[in-house]
Amino acid sequence: MCGIVGYAGHRRALPILLDSLKRLEYRGYDSAGVAIVGSALQVVKDKGFIADLEAKLPAIEGSTGLAHTRWATHGPPSQANAHPHVDCTGTIALAHNGIIENFVELRESLQAKGHTFRSQTDTESLVHLIEAHYRGDLVAAVRAALREVRGSYAIAAVSATEPGTIVGARNESPLVVGLGPDENFLASDVPALLKHTDRVLYMMDEEIVVLTPTSAVITDLEGRAVAREEERITWTLEDAEKGGFEHFMLKEIYEQPAAIHETLLGRVANLEVNGFFADGFTSVKLLACGTSYHAALVGKYILEEIARIPASAELASEYRYAHGPSERPLVILLTQSGETADTLGAAREAKRRGCKTLAICNVVGSTMTREADKTIYTRAGPEIGVAATKTFVTQLVALYLIALRMGLDRGTLGYEEADRLKDELRSLPRAVQAVLNRSDDIRALAEKYADAKDMFYIGRHVNYPVAMEGALKIKEISYVHAEAYAAGELKHGPLALLTPGTPVVAIAVRDHTYEKMRSNVGEVNARGSPVLAIGTDGDKELPKFVDDVVSVPRMSGVFNPVPVTVALQLFAYHVARLRACPIDKPRNLAKSVTVE
Amino acid sequence: MKAVILAAGEGARMGPFTASEPKVMIPVGNRPIVEYVVKALVENGVHDLVIVVGYRRERILSYFQDGKGFGARIKYVVQAKQLGTAHGVFEARSHLDGPFVVLNGSNMIDGRFVEDLLEHRGGPAVAITQSDRPKSYGVAAVEGSRLVSITEKPVEVIGNLINTGAYVLDPTIFPEIERLGASGVHDLPRVLSAIASTSGVAAVRTQGMWVDALYPWDLLRLNQAALASAAEVRAGTIEPNVTIRGRVSIGDGCVIRSGAYLQGPLALGPGCEIGPNAVLLPSTSLGKNVRVGALTTVVNSILMDDASIGPSSVIQDSVIGSGVTAKAGLMAASGPADIQIEGEWHAVPAVGALIGEDSELGNGVAVESGTVVNERARVASGARLRGTIPAGGTVL
Repeated sequence: MCGIVGYAGHRRALPILLDSLKRLEYRGYDSAGVAIVGSALQVVKDKGFIADLEAKLPAIEGSTGLAHTRWATHGPPSQANAHPHVDCTGTIALAHNGIIENFVELRESLQAKGHTFRSQTDTESLVHLIEAHYRGDLVAAVRAALREVRGSYAIAAVSATEPGTIVGARNESPLVVGLGPDENFLASDVPALLKHTDRVLYMMDEEIVVLTPTSAVITDLEGRAVAREEERITWTLEDAEKGGFEHFMLKEIYEQPAAIHETLLGRVANLEVNGFFADGFTSVKLLACGTSYHAALVGKYILEEIARIPASAELASEYRYAHGPSERPLVILLTQSGETADTLGAAREAKRRGCKTLAICNVVGSTMTREADKTIYTRAGPEIGVAATKTFVTQLVALYLIALRMGLDRGTLGYEEADRLKDELRSLPRAVQAVLNRSDDIRALAEKYADAKDMFYIGRHVNYPVAMEGALKIKEISYVHAEAYAAGELKHGPLALLTPGTPVVAIAVRDHTYEKMRSNVGEVNARGSPVLAIGTDGDKELPKFVDDVVSVPRMSGVFNPVPVTVALQLFAYHVARLRACPIDKPRNLAKSVTVE
Repeated sequence: MKAVILAAGEGARMGPFTASEPKVMIPVGNRPIVEYVVKALVENGVHDLVIVVGYRRERILSYFQDGKGFGARIKYVVQAKQLGTAHGVFEARSHLDGPFVVLNGSNMIDGRFVEDLLEHRGGPAVAITQSDRPKSYGVAAVEGSRLVSITEKPVEVIGNLINTGAYVLDPTIFPEIERLGASGVHDLPRVLSAIASTSGVAAVRTQGMWVDALYPWDLLRLNQAALASAAEVRAGTIEPNVTIRGRVSIGDGCVIRSGAYLQGPLALGPGCEIGPNAVLLPSTSLGKNVRVGALTTVVNSILMDDASIGPSSVIQDSVIGSGVTAKAGLMAASGPADIQIEGEWHAVPAVGALIGEDSELGNGVAVESGTVVNERARVASGARLRGTIPAGGTVL
């Protein structure tokens, strides 16, 4: 997971590249570098944030160049391992996002031919391979090199001998071309381009683009021309800026009522959901990673309860190793970015097994939306904070819509019940708003719990995955070690870990698990651990059993995860803020993981 | 010229409609009141705005962000304690280096109003207008175009020219605000009254629109004003045999079922579902994802986002908050009523029901004219409501 930008035009490349690169910092930020072709090829790179690099950059002249922000996969963050990488003679520079799988063989054979390696990265083998093929034509050399490479890549390359030209290529890692007047751009993601242009070309796998200030020519790996329609981006950069909030994460938490509205828009009345639910599936499999996997786990309960169809959730990275049963379930893939490598791999595996695939995705035109048979967009808008918030709740909303449609199509859900559930769906934005209105109360509680080193999150049924999501949020942004357990599992082991210094966050909303949750809270209390419960408005019993309560509006069973998640997001946010953590850019994490 | 928009207050007199959002964000004509203020400024070339926020400020931040979507550059200043309007403007001082306009974010205005204010040159000025209920406002005493004094909520009628709460000021006001603030004066009218006798304050009579909402039923007047000038868009699915007359806006993804009768001005936000043979009459706004059941009639009302009204209901002169659900046969007819708000009684000539967000009403609920149902109330089927129902209350 890394970010790449490139520029070929008439202006000074350096400020444009740095500015664009900052908009990709969410993709990784352990080291950064630039390569600019002016009178010669000039490369500056270092370990650290982009701002650190900027502070020590000399004024480099030249109007063709590329830049890279890195998140380490092969080789620790260091100056030598930072991109761009150069060949032996310092003529060709390359930035790469992805993983070259056969880099060890390539490296050995290139070293045998006398190439000198300076870093531990997989990328460096590719730049030497390009050098080996270079006969005065950069694009021909890149094409020849890529034919020998196995793995995923989005690359940008420049050569000192060809000023005014950048060569880009992609396979299983994102790359878009931006088109401007007498200048063209290359980037891993659209926000990097928006300041300069809204006209883009999306590249497909195994394609190469040659950019000059006045042309952008796409070919395949054989060199055959490929026609590509230009697309216009309708959202703007301000959608991706903080607008008065202290952090992107907080801004995005507060955007959730509007994001849910957007996802429901035009879909509730007639349940017009893009799918193929009448095809007589007998089961559903949900595949995803990270936070999306938690949405998938909640989705299992949603589908089973509303549509009465057997459903199971699995980690996308594990799916390929399990042998599929003979039946062919509908496979639902959840990925915010649409570029998550593990989930894309799972989509291909599902198709290989003959399954129909349905993607729930937030990024229009992303790779997943082309891989899957059909896509339901979550319409949450760009999410910049590394911790997923609004994309998680909108994924749940998409799952409710799918479940309602499936239930009606399968005849397992009556129209009256569907109408009741539709009203409940409509009430979600305000249920979320009601929780947001309690942000100050949650902050006060966060002060009490912020010093904990470990926390445990417990829940039952549909709230068990919600506990997992709450624990993930506090781990990733607050750096508090947290574990989630199905509440019934406590007595099978984890109780041994509880002490008065380990708070327990218990999801004890009024549903059919409430009584059991209350007895679990009793077990915890007996060990002296403080208990923070997420309860239901108007519950006068719960405060007698726990230390603190955050209450959320009363919902019927499977809808509880939405307001409960928002309460846990705010709790994690306030704890992180009190601990002075870098909320939008937690250490070692990147927004979407495009490597396996 | 820059502008300061005061948007920090809660608006407690708006009853249940400020439970989740500040007064300036209450929708009329399907847009927050303060958006009309922003629009009037931008129309007149005022793009640099400072919004003073406080109560539920995240709603304003989330909606306007940095202002680009509205043709403006917006900075936010947090007024932690809402001491008064002068204090609010003072909090914004670091963003103000020349003359600036001050506007109240909860008054609906048009471009003409701002234009009149901008024509004023030199020294502080206050915009005044004629009112038919001056006792609720600060009454301005003027000599020619000079302000003499402002008397807040006079007991006896002393004139019908009132302070609109819109001003032209410059940074020389800040030492005055600081000086008077030390003696506990935090509102602009008193600061201006104080300097009227010394340095002089101009009184600008505006011909533009200025509509104020003090109480929930006033929202219907703002809604009428908003719909009178709203742009017309038509989207969604309109089934056969639907009658549409006048200026009717229908948002994306709406479904209008057969036999419905829509008489404009009306505004339907995206995703609304209007049942068979439903009747919508002027001047009515429906927010996002609102559902109106079969055979239901809605007249001169506001139904906010996600409200769901069952079949065979009647709603007149009413304000229905976000996410209110009513099953079949809700009766909320209009009539004269005495309504108690914040301890004061008001005689309202024609009003239906005022229902706060997320309240749930069962089948066949009858709401007497002027009833205030606060947010998140639960009302059982067959109940008859009058007076004020408390927030979160249950009616059997």
